Amino acid sequence: MGRYLLKRMWHGVIVIFGVTLLVFVVTRLVGDPVKVMLPLEATLEQRAAFEKQLGLDRSIPLQFLDFVGDVAHLDFGDSLWQHRPAMEIVFEKLPLTIQLTIVGIGLAFFLSIPLGIIAALRPGGIVDRTTVFFSLIGFSIPQFWLGLLLIVIFAVKFHWLPTSGIGTPTHIILPAITMGLPALARLVMMVRSAMIDELNQQYVKTGYAKGIPFWRVVGVHAMRNAALPVVTLLGWEVIRAVAGYSVVVETVFAWPGIGLTAIQAIEREDLILLQSIVFTVGIMVVLINILMDMVYTIIDPRLKLQ
Amino acid sequence: MAEATNIEKMLGGRWLDWLQGLRNLGQELWRDKTGFTGVVLIGVLLFMAVAAPLIAPHDPSTQDLRARLRPPVWEEKGTWKHVLGTDHLGRDVLSRVIYGSRVSLLVGTAVVFVAGTFGVVMGLLAGYRGGRTDSYVMRWIDTQVAFPGLLLALIILAVIGPSMITVIIVLSLNGWMVYGRMTRGAVLSVRQTPYVEAAEILGCKGKRVIFRHILPNLTSPLLTLAILEFARIVLAEAALSFLGLGIQPPATSWGLDVANGKNYMFRAWWLVTMPGIAIAITVLAINLVASWMRLISDPQEREKQFARQTTVRRRRQSRRLVSREEAGV
Amino acid sequence: MSKIRKYLLVGLLMSPICVSAVSAHAQEVTIALGSEPTTLDPQLREDGGERAVNDNIYETLMARRPDGSLVPGLAAAPPKLVSPESWEVKLRDSIRFHNGEPFNADAVVFSVKRIINPEFNSEQVSFFFTIKDAKKIDDHTVRIFTEGPDPILPSRLYWMKMVPSGYANNPKFAEAPIGTGPYKFVRWNRGQDILLEVNTDYWAEKPQIKKITYRFVEEPGTRLAGLKAGEFDLVTNLLPEFTQEVPKATHVLGLEHPIIILNADAGPTKDVRVRQALNYAVDKKALAEGLYEGFAQVAQGQLLSPSFFGFNKDVGPYPYDAKKARSLLKEAGATETTVEIIGTSGRWLKDREVVEAVAAYWDDVGIKSKVRIFEFNEYLNRLFDRKTRADAIFVVSSNELLDADKSFSAYYKAGGIGSSNTDAELAGLIDKARTETNVETRASLYHQAVKRAYDQAYFVWLLNIEDIYGMSKRLDWAARVDAKMLVKEMRVIE
Repeated sequence: MGRYLLKRMWHGVIVIFGVTLLVFVVTRLVGDPVKVMLPLEATLEQRAAFEKQLGLDRSIPLQFLDFVGDVAHLDFGDSLWQHRPAMEIVFEKLPLTIQLTIVGIGLAFFLSIPLGIIAALRPGGIVDRTTVFFSLIGFSIPQFWLGLLLIVIFAVKFHWLPTSGIGTPTHIILPAITMGLPALARLVMMVRSAMIDELNQQYVKTGYAKGIPFWRVVGVHAMRNAALPVVTLLGWEVIRAVAGYSVVVETVFAWPGIGLTAIQAIEREDLILLQSIVFTVGIMVVLINILMDMVYTIIDPRLKLQ
Repeated sequence: MAEATNIEKMLGGRWLDWLQGLRNLGQELWRDKTGFTGVVLIGVLLFMAVAAPLIAPHDPSTQDLRARLRPPVWEEKGTWKHVLGTDHLGRDVLSRVIYGSRVSLLVGTAVVFVAGTFGVVMGLLAGYRGGRTDSYVMRWIDTQVAFPGLLLALIILAVIGPSMITVIIVLSLNGWMVYGRMTRGAVLSVRQTPYVEAAEILGCKGKRVIFRHILPNLTSPLLTLAILEFARIVLAEAALSFLGLGIQPPATSWGLDVANGKNYMFRAWWLVTMPGIAIAITVLAINLVASWMRLISDPQEREKQFARQTTVRRRRQSRRLVSREEAGV
Repeated sequence: MSKIRKYLLVGLLMSPICVSAVSAHAQEVTIALGSEPTTLDPQLREDGGERAVNDNIYETLMARRPDGSLVPGLAAAPPKLVSPESWEVKLRDSIRFHNGEPFNADAVVFSVKRIINPEFNSEQVSFFFTIKDAKKIDDHTVRIFTEGPDPILPSRLYWMKMVPSGYANNPKFAEAPIGTGPYKFVRWNRGQDILLEVNTDYWAEKPQIKKITYRFVEEPGTRLAGLKAGEFDLVTNLLPEFTQEVPKATHVLGLEHPIIILNADAGPTKDVRVRQALNYAVDKKALAEGLYEGFAQVAQGQLLSPSFFGFNKDVGPYPYDAKKARSLLKEAGATETTVEIIGTSGRWLKDREVVEAVAAYWDDVGIKSKVRIFEFNEYLNRLFDRKTRADAIFVVSSNELLDADKSFSAYYKAGGIGSSNTDAELAGLIDKARTETNVETRASLYHQAVKRAYDQAYFVWLLNIEDIYGMSKRLDWAARVDAKMLVKEMRVIE
């Protein structure tokens, strides 16, 4: 196990390095932060002077050498956009997104299991049809619509919750629901689908015949085998939540997390902040993947660690 | 002469068999009302997409700034001229929904197909070959997952320019990884089962093992995944097109109309809801057809279905008998 | 004592508490901005969020009244031109920064030198590029030197915030600002809010509002929701379609001018008749009333609004005349030509919609318009591309100095960063006006430039957008032309 972990972490380092390098090169080839930073009517000379000050007029290999030197000191440089250390920004914003993801996706995951199982027990039945119907709607609706609707109902009409921002525990409720509801819908579909397949298998009928209690057959044996696609989807949901859905949810709820910051960094071509974000998210992705692989082996001991 | 009739008979036979098979399928479909509904819905959607110029009441890009934000016909200020109302530029919502189906359906199916195929192939390679191949593929997946999707979109945009093809490429590149992971996981777990090992011992070639033994196990979770992804992609296309990375006006898609209607959500709810309903109906239809397909491909399921329907029929018959008895017939 | 008397007495005793509770609340406001400031250094960035906060903490030598007229601020009188390239400014006395540092000539010289220092790399340098140097004459007199004559130096001084020479070198300067203004900085909870409180030692009239809380909400729907839920007193950038939903709104003609730059040198728009046709084809009034719900005015055939310096009141908009447009196109032999129009999405209010609307108007008169909406960075590439100019480029020009020079140099003048013509005469007029110190001559030069560009139809002038703010019922304020939210001008009414 130890050797496996080491090997995976080494792979992880390669991946992170690879991604950061890619982002570095790509942003300098495609992007030009100066034109976004200065007011629209600034002249060409002003832009050239500005660029020179930022050191962006040098060749890419030169810039990369500088970058490597800085990273050796764990210094990613100052964000072009916010003029403070980029990593400082990342450490400020990332915990908030993680908070939102854990609450939102976590709740979604834990609710999806009982809901999916109940639906799978009698496929085609009323409970199943209702669950499927609401799930389909749940993941087909746009997230900004859901968020704004929740705000209008619970914050504006009933004044039960704040409309936006952070600060108190009540502030996380609506954003977490908005983040988690579509995920819940998707997970329920997957749990249901996987469980239906499992419950059809021979061993389930054998189990019942042998007299094993119903809850044990379903809850332990069937669930274990159904877990693989569900865990895959869960990993995908978590990563997408941090890197994708968080943008919309954080924008709508003025939740100052990393998703919003990442998209603003791209819009402003803040290459340095972008590198830092990619680096950090890369680490998270690798960790989640390692975690998923380990969970695979727990679920299915047949899967040998390679 | 005899040969000609033989060939004719052969061809005719095949043709008849095929027709007969189709007819059986149709009967199956008719028996399963939900599956039937799904197929009908998909048929309607496809027809809508193909025949859009014929059935749309207006040109989707004709604007009329004096007739902005008219509500659907059943509301107070609605008219039959614009059954589902008009948008912020006075364009007819119904026509836009009809035309929008073209882009949304095309992008959705294309991406699911391309990303799905590529992802499954990669996953099969990684899972079956194992070792180095597995390592490389998985690291490639990790790298792509960690790479910001929007940045990828910007690069491709810089190279190709905005269009529907750009969106399809971007979304496919961003979306194949989950299929890859799921396939690889499934392959790994199935590969070590006794029957696969037996097949290998018997001398079945890799391809045969994969297609005959491993893939059938995958169809269920992959199909579910495809349905989830379809909905996500229709909305993701909207985000890209809205920013200027995708389809250009006057073309439109459901997702784009949803995105454009965001700021009018409180003033004109129909701008977001109508295309949103279209998306939901499409997803529903696909799901219905998919579950029906799963039903007919699994013999156990068909048995259960048959048993259920027989029970219901018998129960109905017995009820009729009972009531006849009670009526003293 | 009778029961009634008892109750009255208790009521009377209670009332000061009640009143003070009400008034304590009455003196605080919460303002929702569309973006969080990236820094609170007032001289470094071009950042609307930062300006919104710092406009209350810092002050400038010159100021503007709500209607836009230029008046002395920290200066005792408007700057005097002592030589073609130098101005003398006399400062008010007994003004201190929030940390006790005196506001004097040292502070002014320091502020000027800091912002024009190329190593400081200020994003605002394009406002001050004519300023060469500043020298202290005595404690309350400063001389400012310009590169060549600079007639608009006074309005440049309205944009330059004065910073304390001692504290500005403190590393915390960008996070904890110290100025001379009516409000002091209290705290910045990053991502959450910024708190200001009133400066009790303020040198001018004390403001009524004692505490300000700034929140940052990007999504316009959420800003509206916060206002309706009573969490905010003032929200910026209210969408026109939300105005019916808010308790109160104030609006004023703002600085933003959506406009379309036409290529006068190549392509289908080379012919002036085609350009004029493109102008006649657009129903600008319908755009203002339809798209912006009436919260916009038709531009008067120039990239200026009436309060800007250089505005030519004898020039009006091209009227909406589709028939004339068609006949002009026929005359030019340009019916059925393709005109490509470049735009972007999500950057300015209704940018995408305006482009789509204009394209539809052009289609109506026979043009085949090709709309290309680009992501903002890609769009900027097209806007700034000096080699190949697109037929038509949509842009929204914002003129913070309320003076023609900046925008005309960028769009009207040949070789300007966004211009699509090579009219040497027009360029000459603009160059001359930049350094013309006689106010009347300068104005007439701009009038000529406006007329010439109008006759040549180098642009499709569209609108001048209004800024709309949503307010709670308890807030009383009239929006300013320069879009500054000066809380000292606001009042709370209960």
